[in-house]
Amino acid sequence: MEAEFWKNGILLLDGAMGTVLQQKGLPPGGQPELLNRSAPEWIASVSREYALAGSQVVYANTFGANRRKLAHTGHSVQEIVTAGVTLAKQAVAGTPARVALDMGPLGELLEPMGSLRFEEAYALFGEMARCGAAAGADLVAIETMTDLYEAKAALLAVKEQTDLPVFVTMSFDEGGRTFTGCTIPSMARTLEGLGADAIGLNCSLGPDQLLPLLRQLCRHTRLPVIAKPNAGLPDPVDGHYHMAPEAFAAALLRGLEAGVTIFGGCCGTSPEYIRRLRAALADKHPVPRRYAGKAFVCTPTRPLRLDGVRVIGERINPTGKKRFQQALLEEDLDYILDVAVQQEDAGADILDVNVGYPGVDEVDMLPRVVRKLQSAVALPLQLDSSNPDALEAGLRVYNGKAAVNSVNGDPEVLARILPIVKKYGASVVGLTLDEHGLPQTARARLDIARRILDAVLSYDIPREDLWIDCLTLTVSAQQSQATETLRAVRAVREELGLATVLGVSNISFGLPNRALITQSFLIQALNMGLTLPILNPNQREMMDAVAAFRVLSGEDRACRDYVERFAGTVSAAPAAAPGAGLELEEAVMRGLRTEAGQLARQALQQGRESELSLVERQLIPALDKVGEGYERGRVFLPQLLSAAQAAQAVFEAVRASLAARGGEPVRKGRLVVATVKGDIHDIGKNIVKTMLENYGYEVIDQGRDVPPEAILETVQARAVRLVGLSALMTTTLPAMEETIRLLHSLPEPPVIWVGGAVVTPEHARRMGADYYAGDARASVEIARKVLG
Amino acid sequence: MLNVEEALRYLGVRGPVPDGLRGQAEDVAAQLTARITPRFVYRVFPLLREGERLSLSGTGIVLPGRTAGTLLAQCDQAVLLACTLGSGFDAMLRAEQARDMARAVLLDACGSAWVESGCDAAEAQLQRRLPGRYRTDRFSPGYGDLPLQVQPQVCAALDAGRRLGLSVTESLLLNPAKSVTAVIGLSDTPQRARIRGCAYCSMRESCTLRKGGNHCGS
Repeated sequence: MEAEFWKNGILLLDGAMGTVLQQKGLPPGGQPELLNRSAPEWIASVSREYALAGSQVVYANTFGANRRKLAHTGHSVQEIVTAGVTLAKQAVAGTPARVALDMGPLGELLEPMGSLRFEEAYALFGEMARCGAAAGADLVAIETMTDLYEAKAALLAVKEQTDLPVFVTMSFDEGGRTFTGCTIPSMARTLEGLGADAIGLNCSLGPDQLLPLLRQLCRHTRLPVIAKPNAGLPDPVDGHYHMAPEAFAAALLRGLEAGVTIFGGCCGTSPEYIRRLRAALADKHPVPRRYAGKAFVCTPTRPLRLDGVRVIGERINPTGKKRFQQALLEEDLDYILDVAVQQEDAGADILDVNVGYPGVDEVDMLPRVVRKLQSAVALPLQLDSSNPDALEAGLRVYNGKAAVNSVNGDPEVLARILPIVKKYGASVVGLTLDEHGLPQTARARLDIARRILDAVLSYDIPREDLWIDCLTLTVSAQQSQATETLRAVRAVREELGLATVLGVSNISFGLPNRALITQSFLIQALNMGLTLPILNPNQREMMDAVAAFRVLSGEDRACRDYVERFAGTVSAAPAAAPGAGLELEEAVMRGLRTEAGQLARQALQQGRESELSLVERQLIPALDKVGEGYERGRVFLPQLLSAAQAAQAVFEAVRASLAARGGEPVRKGRLVVATVKGDIHDIGKNIVKTMLENYGYEVIDQGRDVPPEAILETVQARAVRLVGLSALMTTTLPAMEETIRLLHSLPEPPVIWVGGAVVTPEHARRMGADYYAGDARASVEIARKVLG
Repeated sequence: MLNVEEALRYLGVRGPVPDGLRGQAEDVAAQLTARITPRFVYRVFPLLREGERLSLSGTGIVLPGRTAGTLLAQCDQAVLLACTLGSGFDAMLRAEQARDMARAVLLDACGSAWVESGCDAAEAQLQRRLPGRYRTDRFSPGYGDLPLQVQPQVCAALDAGRRLGLSVTESLLLNPAKSVTAVIGLSDTPQRARIRGCAYCSMRESCTLRKGGNHCGS
């Protein structure tokens, strides 16, 4: 077989299967892949017609033949996939057409949108891929994806479990986003990085609407680009596609000029469309594309071109931060998410993620933190570890194109880390030091940068994916090194043209008024060509300096961002002192988060209150007053939660104060909350959690769609005495009952309370729950009764 | 238009709304409507009648029970409708929960009101496309005695997975969260409004009032 047949010239794919079957009179309904067994001659005839019409690749009828969708059909994946591939191969026999194993979405959303885990999705696709390869498929076509994460699971499965070439196409709306918000640059750079052989767009739009999106895609990838649109847009009333074959072919031909080389059709198309396409493309040649790779990282919704100054937030790092260390050891991922959210709100573009700390298993923790952060933060992440297994585990579950921090000039480190960077298509930070240490001169650091670049290129990692960190040393300890670092930055920028990283905060260690030194160094470094400063975005001085630099460098066009940042602010006005007449109790009741936190810190610092008395004598009574108002219908849920969050700020002050002097945390008792198996919406459970935490209870949140066994395990392992279960749907009440039954099988079962949308006191009684809670406030009362 | 009053009602707000709360709700609503537009698809199917048995031609969907029987009594066609705020809303809600739970519950309620207004927009479009046809109230799987079990078939008939990104879980939940499917009958004679409140309300599954047999009286 001709190697890499998709790379040279124009390649013609097939059109729709379902549309043609319906035209032929096959009644709709049922799962289409089962026709491989029940009506093989129908399926084979369609494939045959496509091959005769000129399709060079015919997709086997395996789109939804995954274990999940076949679950209740009595057929196995192996049976249906093997039948599908075999039918297609027989049908195209005697023609030059190749056969693709077709893999569509699994029909269930992955985490965090749904509850399907990434690893399960990987396993489902892997099974299909293995069966398809064994049946003799020539390639794999992953198509109609709307979730980049699902596409990644499928692509990894094919790459790791077969040797077949793989095409990936996704479905976008006219605005250039998929249903899950994925952008075209994010899709292109992520899938190319992961090793797809060709990428493109299929379904959802007709060729006219697809054209601008194809142009955009061609600008963002080196790979061959695929266009497989529908026959126009469906009629909204009857659902049919009406674009005629000749119009379809003419419209799609314009994709050729954009740089598309692989063509086909999706919903509403038939062999006639392919015949027309073949005729239209007969005397045509690929149009060469120009692609200048630019440094880039992304999440699906946040493509980030590194063509200016981009701030990397440094706060997710336990070094020197007692409270963060405590959160890591307690696996308090909510705290880590909170640190991330603050940096995002402060204007960070990328977040560095370092969870290395004695007593923490990084290989387990890094991917967990990545998932947690990506559930609520849109920013791209830079995974910061020297442990290759932790990096691989983190990159594997990362959704998008991440960065790795870091490698250095030591050949052993390069050999250990770069294969992982290559495999997952990440960007990587190269530190200008090696096995002999950090050179003292800018020249020597540049030499190491060159060596790292050579190594990166030797792994076939694109040049733009390497960022160089020339390393900041503490100026109070090694004063001459500050200028040497700055020179090195300039040399790397000018001579290698690579993006440059620098953790600037180190510079001022040990000096008074650190912010001034750090800010001055930052400004000088930016001036020397620093593009990716790592800093604390919560420090206003730093972000102000970056904002000003972006104006002076011309990056902030028409000073728009700068004006937005500072418009309306009065310079040098002192912030109103929070203590001005405001008592802690009132701050909590009014839901003033910042003020409540400040008042609590003041009270603790001045030694006016112990941590415990602050909680017991001020905080809880304030929360109770709000709670009473809620019960009487004078205070409503958002206000109740505002008060709870103000209380959270007080608790945060208490925790920080205790952590600083090594005291035991204030804990009123431990309990579990969970939304039962089958239920995926969990805001109600989260409301309960917010309330309980802010009364000082240690809440183990097991999340949503939690199997009974997992709850049992936690209750046993962590000696939990109180369990709260939530259910939203009548269809999941049995899972709640099952969980209670299982917990009651323990010799000393925990106290169980239940609540949630459809649960009534009668249900609770019948299921054997100890308590029923109608709302979050009632849950607090139950916790008090049981745990005190 | 997102009806902020309706959103506040979903949160159990009765009587005079505190100013601060209304302001916050309006702020959240503005942020939501700027970022997310409801999407919908619908299709018109001939309604087949064999004795008491109602089905939608070409789909294999049977609409059993008194609810469908009563509402569709004078109809010869039925529209299946699906409307969703998409997973973008869910992402927004997750992010808001990490920031501010109080705003998150407002966003959740505003999302419910917003997907309903998406359904209203779909009906308005339907009215323009099918002048002279009268519509029944819209009603959803799980309402009255129309079983939740038809949910997967409704989504399949609309190709809602491909066209809206909608999926149905094994426990028959629609995902993304703020999604609605509904049936609307079409007739040549004017149709009486039979349903008030709850059927139109995407909070009905989680409504404390409905649990007690009441409704919010809108």
